[in-house]
Amino acid sequence: MQTAPLPSPAATAAPSPAATAAPVLSLNNVEVIYDHVSLAIKGVSIEVPQGGMVALLGANGAGKSTTLKSISGLLRAERGLVTRGEVHFMGHNIDALAPQRRVKLGIAQVLEGRRVFEHLTPDENLIAASAVRGSRQDMARNKDRVYAYFPRLHERRTAQSGYLSGGEQQMLAIGRALMTQPKLLMLDEPSLGLAPFLVAEIFDIVRRINKEEGLSVLLVEQNAIAALEVVSHGYLMERGRVVMHDSAEAMKQNPDIQEFYLGGAKGHEFRDVKHYRRRKRWLT
Amino acid sequence: MDLTLFGELAINGAMTGLMYSLVAMGIVLIYKSSAVPNLAQGAMTMLGGYVVLAIAGGFGAPLWVAIPLALATMFLVGVGIERVALRRLAGRPIIMILMMTLGLDIFVRATSMTIWGGTNRPMQLGISDTPLFLGPLLLNRTYVVGAVVAIALFVLFLLFFRTRMGIVLRAISDDYTASWSVGISVERGVALSWALSSVVATTAGVLWGSVQGVDQSLALLLLKGVAVAVLGGLDSIGGAILAGLLLGIFEGVASGYLDPLVGGGSRDLVIAMTLILTILIRPHGLFGRHDIERI
Repeated sequence: MQTAPLPSPAATAAPSPAATAAPVLSLNNVEVIYDHVSLAIKGVSIEVPQGGMVALLGANGAGKSTTLKSISGLLRAERGLVTRGEVHFMGHNIDALAPQRRVKLGIAQVLEGRRVFEHLTPDENLIAASAVRGSRQDMARNKDRVYAYFPRLHERRTAQSGYLSGGEQQMLAIGRALMTQPKLLMLDEPSLGLAPFLVAEIFDIVRRINKEEGLSVLLVEQNAIAALEVVSHGYLMERGRVVMHDSAEAMKQNPDIQEFYLGGAKGHEFRDVKHYRRRKRWLT
Repeated sequence: MDLTLFGELAINGAMTGLMYSLVAMGIVLIYKSSAVPNLAQGAMTMLGGYVVLAIAGGFGAPLWVAIPLALATMFLVGVGIERVALRRLAGRPIIMILMMTLGLDIFVRATSMTIWGGTNRPMQLGISDTPLFLGPLLLNRTYVVGAVVAIALFVLFLLFFRTRMGIVLRAISDDYTASWSVGISVERGVALSWALSSVVATTAGVLWGSVQGVDQSLALLLLKGVAVAVLGGLDSIGGAILAGLLLGIFEGVASGYLDPLVGGGSRDLVIAMTLILTILIRPHGLFGRHDIERI
């Protein structure tokens, strides 16, 4: 007879990031200022566990994209600067590194709005993204891998990318990021403007890659319903701060989240929800 | 109508046009790989010519040594331009970058004026002055060489833009931020495009220098280069070749018949009209990409 109590299934399904091995990514009190004056995020601390899938949720302008760019190094192109705090990736402080060095370390960001190279074919998009992974064999292998995950891209590989459908472009953007052999894949609003079945399809593929290759994923979404279905943990941002951090299950159950982000309000008109939301904030 | 005269005007115009294509190709090269319209291409052509002469004169090197050395020097000049003038502008509005290339144009012209003065210096390539006979038509040998070089470079760049490096450069011109996001070193790509363009400019400088000598007027080739590049479509190497041919023929024939009537000087008029009409009627040129908009 067993004396020690078995860990509950819930606990094994959703271990806290701190309990697992060192996180692949950790932000510690990060503050970003644009143009020397405008404070975009303040004191943001998040962690992505090794092989984990974490969502960063929040409304428009909450600072989600800025947080991603502080990780990928793309802030500088927009005259943004990490003025406080540290970004650690696999134990390295990466704050001083140029974007391409970070990609080389294994950070890939799929930009909001997809941003495929429109005048190149999907095949050329993938080739262009293999610049950091030197050898031709690497490139060929990575291309095969991307085409295996996204057979539709293979069918359209010689079309002009600008004429692909939104879903195909999103697949291409993700495939392009995979060409860099990332250890951490960051997706910025991949569901934007896509039909729900496409969002589900794309999230499924991302989850498959996460499972099969142990690729850690940081998913930025306004679409909390879809996001919380695939991740184990979520952070909620508002006005440049993290205001909530919990397991995906707990977040789905949280009445405030339900009301504000999952549209599960009982009896509220959408207009009322918005009005209410404008008044009530976690931080004011 | 005198068919021989027409043929001669047309074919010499075509050759001249291909030499305009050399200047245009430099513009297209930079535009195709970093989406910057380079207004300093004429000045760089002139600088290329001066550098060849400086190396030949300064070290007493024969031209066949001086030219490769000058090509290498200008390659480094191109890299330097990116490092000093353009790197900080990456991601800034295109108008600032355009003004910067205009600034570069003025800077290069003023600097070479200070160093080398305004006198015309000959560039003796050793190409014979005696015309080449094609049936009844007379051809200028230097122009023939220029045309061959232009077509050779065209083939070379056509192949280059299909290589991995070439694809990366085209990606950069599409979207800087997306390029950074997949680890492309945008700065290095832009530097490479300026370096290659400087090499092309030097080639043009040598050939044009041997036609009209090396002086400040070489910088005015910018106008022809821009007209050809715009007519061909700013991002099309093939367009630059074809537009060069067309514009050269058009310019040669039109001015050949107009000049006697108006007393000369109609060449630039033809060029200006072409540039203006292209932008009004077909802004993306003959072969340039339409900007893709999703429906």
